[in-house]
Amino acid sequence: MSADSHDHHDLPFWKKYLFSTDHKTIGIQYGLAAGAFLLFGFFLMIVMRWSIAYPHEPLPGYLSWIFTDGWKGRWLDDGKVTGETYNMFGAMHGTIMVFLGVVPLGFAAFGNYVTPLQIGAPDMAFPKLNMASFWVYLAGGIVMCMSFFMESGAAKSGWTNYSPLAGYADRQIVNQLLAGQTQWLIGLVLLITSSLLGSVNFITTIIQLRAKGLTWMRLPFFVWAMLVTGFLLLLAFPPLEAAGIMQLMDRMVGSSFFMPTGLYSAADDVALDLSGSGSPLLFQHLFWFLGHPEVYVLLLPAIACVAEIIPANTRKPLWGYKPMVWGVIVLGFLSFIVWAHHMYLTGMGPVISTFFQTTTVLISVPSVILLTSLIISLWGGSIRFTMPMIWAAAFLPMFGIGGLTGLPLAFNLADLHLHDTYYVIGHFHYVVAPGILFGLFAGIYHWYPKMTGRFMDNFLGHLHFWPSLVCMNLLFFPMLTQGMAGFHRRWYNGGEGYIEKASDGVNVFGQTVADNISLNEVMTSAAIALAIFQIPFLLNMFISYFWGKKVTSDNPWDATTLEWATPTPPGHGNFTFDVAVYRGPYEYSRPDHDKDYFPQWEEPKRDAPVVESEENPHKESPEA
Amino acid sequence: MEIPFIVNARKDTGLFNSKVGIWLFLASEVTLFGGLFSGYLFLRLYADYPWPERALPVLPGLINTFILIGSSVTVVFAWAALKMREWRKFQIYMWITLICAVLFLGLKGIEYNAKFHHQAVRLSSEGAVQDFGYLEGHVHYGKLDENGQLVEVSKEEKKENPEGVFSANKIIFKANELTFALKRPAHEAYVKEILKQAGDQHTISLVGDYRVIDEKELHAGGKNRAQLEASAAALVVADGAVLSIDDLDEMEEAFLQARAHDKEIRTEFLRASWSWIRDEKGIEDISNLVITTDLWKERMAEDNEKIKNLMLSAPGTVRYKIEPPLTLVWRPDDIPKLAKTELKLRDDTVVKGELQPSPMLLGVDAIDFRHTALRAEAEGIDPLEAIKQSWILTHKNSQGENELKKAWICHQAWLRHLTEKLDKTNEKKGLEGEDRLVPTENDKYRINWDQMVGYARLDYDPERVYQALSDEGSGEKLYRAGLFDLGGFAGADHSNKNYHFPHVEIPRENVGFTSTFTPKWNTYYAIYFTITGLHGLHVIGGAIVLGYYLFFGRKMYDSNPEWLANRVEVGGLFWHFVDLVWIFLFPILYLM
Repeated sequence: MSADSHDHHDLPFWKKYLFSTDHKTIGIQYGLAAGAFLLFGFFLMIVMRWSIAYPHEPLPGYLSWIFTDGWKGRWLDDGKVTGETYNMFGAMHGTIMVFLGVVPLGFAAFGNYVTPLQIGAPDMAFPKLNMASFWVYLAGGIVMCMSFFMESGAAKSGWTNYSPLAGYADRQIVNQLLAGQTQWLIGLVLLITSSLLGSVNFITTIIQLRAKGLTWMRLPFFVWAMLVTGFLLLLAFPPLEAAGIMQLMDRMVGSSFFMPTGLYSAADDVALDLSGSGSPLLFQHLFWFLGHPEVYVLLLPAIACVAEIIPANTRKPLWGYKPMVWGVIVLGFLSFIVWAHHMYLTGMGPVISTFFQTTTVLISVPSVILLTSLIISLWGGSIRFTMPMIWAAAFLPMFGIGGLTGLPLAFNLADLHLHDTYYVIGHFHYVVAPGILFGLFAGIYHWYPKMTGRFMDNFLGHLHFWPSLVCMNLLFFPMLTQGMAGFHRRWYNGGEGYIEKASDGVNVFGQTVADNISLNEVMTSAAIALAIFQIPFLLNMFISYFWGKKVTSDNPWDATTLEWATPTPPGHGNFTFDVAVYRGPYEYSRPDHDKDYFPQWEEPKRDAPVVESEENPHKESPEA
Repeated sequence: MEIPFIVNARKDTGLFNSKVGIWLFLASEVTLFGGLFSGYLFLRLYADYPWPERALPVLPGLINTFILIGSSVTVVFAWAALKMREWRKFQIYMWITLICAVLFLGLKGIEYNAKFHHQAVRLSSEGAVQDFGYLEGHVHYGKLDENGQLVEVSKEEKKENPEGVFSANKIIFKANELTFALKRPAHEAYVKEILKQAGDQHTISLVGDYRVIDEKELHAGGKNRAQLEASAAALVVADGAVLSIDDLDEMEEAFLQARAHDKEIRTEFLRASWSWIRDEKGIEDISNLVITTDLWKERMAEDNEKIKNLMLSAPGTVRYKIEPPLTLVWRPDDIPKLAKTELKLRDDTVVKGELQPSPMLLGVDAIDFRHTALRAEAEGIDPLEAIKQSWILTHKNSQGENELKKAWICHQAWLRHLTEKLDKTNEKKGLEGEDRLVPTENDKYRINWDQMVGYARLDYDPERVYQALSDEGSGEKLYRAGLFDLGGFAGADHSNKNYHFPHVEIPRENVGFTSTFTPKWNTYYAIYFTITGLHGLHVIGGAIVLGYYLFFGRKMYDSNPEWLANRVEVGGLFWHFVDLVWIFLFPILYLM
């Protein structure tokens, strides 16, 4: 091998921070980029929520200042959000949050930073691939978002991009390469390429680069979750890439993969010049084949963070480590065969629906194992309510609500009423926003000291946490109520057309739209407040970097996993000693040990009795 | 810092890093192509038209299959040579592999090219059963005569004087007025095309001034609207200006600015009215209902009066007249909406004038009535009756003839012979009832291009066709012997002088749907091009990587040959996968 082992500090700026091959720098790059995209997606959402609550009022100055005059002329109707603009923002909000925000933050940022450290590796298995993965991701994100400034505007057919609507939108653009819908597809193909490079890298790293003695059942749960997530991305994304390519063909060369026979546009009064015989259902199948595993790609990194934080802050081992590991593997497997529960209303037929209903109910078993284990892990612990622990603790009930509200949707019969209503929106936002994002916030507060050598400020942390918790619930709980009352998820005006129809009678849940419409304003206010209370967090990130309390040791939380054995912050190559692992990942409060934690890397004392037995959980040897 | 297990395998897994990586990558490739293959299945199972079975010439695909299999073998030899540290041998085997890749792509290119030049037409889309016949063939050339009418041009004439010649599948429209929509930027290529076709003989000039009130003058006050509009500052482009992209850009810019200005003012008024109703009137609780109240309506009416005088109100369209009227030639794809006196381009430009006869001139090498038969059977009509009524068999060309009908009659002779042959077999084998062999739908309702070549060779004489088939000794054969002279290697050969294909003029109103044999024609060609195209990209990618090892691998071979061998092994694994995909593709696309 080449003698390419010069020190981190010798590198020029652009190699050190921009085109770095160091997994930690790339992780931070991912984190910052994803954070920027999350804020952008958040902004789009606030504009949408304004339109829902006040459809006839112009956007207030604090939202509209960002748009240029030309843009406002094209996309706002006297300052008001039009239906088309709302669709555009809705589609891009979903896309950005899922593909450009949460997945890169959870899997790519945390995965990159923490995984190699936790397995005692000097870097990822393919560092250059890792760098390529980030830049391809960024290119994909930029391509998607650039289309906001084009004549066509950005994609406007929902984040699911269903044909034939998605296939027809932006058809009037002569050069299809400059149409928002096309850009969305090109961006998507780039993102899939990026996640493919990333997942190959992660899985190879975990399989090949584990430190001496780090056997499979000594891996921290975090690493297991990343391994399963990697497989989900690896195997579920390519069929969507196939669908993306086919839809790209539909747009660029006029094929009819997803365009059925006899399409006619009433708005333009033309029959479409297409061969027809395509299948819109095919797109939905290919989309949801990714779409459902994607949910677990979002979720697992958050659970992974929480599973690291709870043992460290309760000072006791993770309850049910083995069931959790098997649970996450089963979850990963089952997530591949539940996709069509998103499609109950497409007329697939009762047999297929029943199959997917069964598998969907089955997948709640491993999910419950994971969440229950985490809750039981709290039992009898001497809990330290540090900042990360508060977020992790809030994750549990919030994700719980998200998960439990999903059960009615798993059943065909109930889904008939709830499909495409705000109930669905409420359900998955509970999973993603107060659930997953809280888990990831916990992770940021937890690993920030390792990344920077300073703690994040506690006061600002509390100022971030409590209002966020309240606002999240004020924002998302009414969605469940509204959904049961029949609010459709794509109304740009919040359903005001139904006010006068209050007398039409109640729906199957005894509700009317008119009774619940005033909730729109509550939710919009909550959304704006939520935005305001992210400011303490941004300030905290920045201020603490320069003036935060310095850590006094490399292992400030007294934790047991390998990332805390590195210098703070870890240099290029990570470890300064030859790493060997002697025990499982969560050895807290062992009665035979003087400290209340026993790190994985600490050599057992010579005079301690070594009991050689398979049954002994404290068997300590660095076998490879 | 060194990453472990790049060259040597990790003990407990027995693998080096990149080998784990490539297997994972290939797993994802399996799901990528799996998605496409399931797309193929889905489209084929739910197709609402007769799926083109065995539609492609098999020979090129078959040769390609063996080329790829061969290259898979040589890439292994190349790896083995590296393992044994025989650089020279490695080079030779790698060269062979790369040559195979180039051959494969070359053959693929020939196949693709034949399809790009082969046109298909579904007749009128009115929906009547008899209209679902397909014609396949080559579009002939045409040009406009001095009266702006289409005349046919032969290949030789085109070679001599290619000026103004186009392939005769165009919309011909005599235009006297153009209206550009300023809301959308006019597509530059269209404007250029119009200017090019207009040449020097026609002038295209703006009708009336394009004026937008100047914002500064408006806000300075002291002038009424008529004065403002008449002022010199308001003039953007003057009456009679000749069409140019710069002018259009300028007017578009002025329009967009004016629109933004107007909207800004209206937004301010709207905001003010909302705060008024909130603060003064206090009807906050029912904000959604406010706009339906009389109070709100009164306020809006008042505001509208005030707003009127603050608007720049720029016109959203501009009109150009063409003198003398100009005959424009357009690709049908550029015109989403076509009527007798008006057409609309994709950038919303409206062209007024008169539609000229715009027939498609086609040399036909295949006729397909399977879709007609399918539709007829679904509606309980006798398929043969429907076929008889179809435009294909009933139309007359300018000489009062119908060459397609002659071919169809020949085909009946072919079918008669086939039925007799099958009957003989039935008798010999004692097949009865459902077991009897009968002609397939494909036999009955489709004249394939190789059959058409046969009929053409025998001058469309049904008797000679029947004779040639039944009497081996007569010296005449339906197809001439020889592998490469079935009429073409990758499709019908239209330049052969020994026979001529039926020639038709299809009036524009009878052209239902038309395309070359590209993804647009139907879902079969869509999936064919997508999968084989993606596979082709994999071949190119693989060849680039293997070529890199061949041409730039020497340095690594000298310093760390085992590492290079690992790389070639990984590249070879990928190459095998690419070969495997083709082994699946060949039967499902060519043979099934």
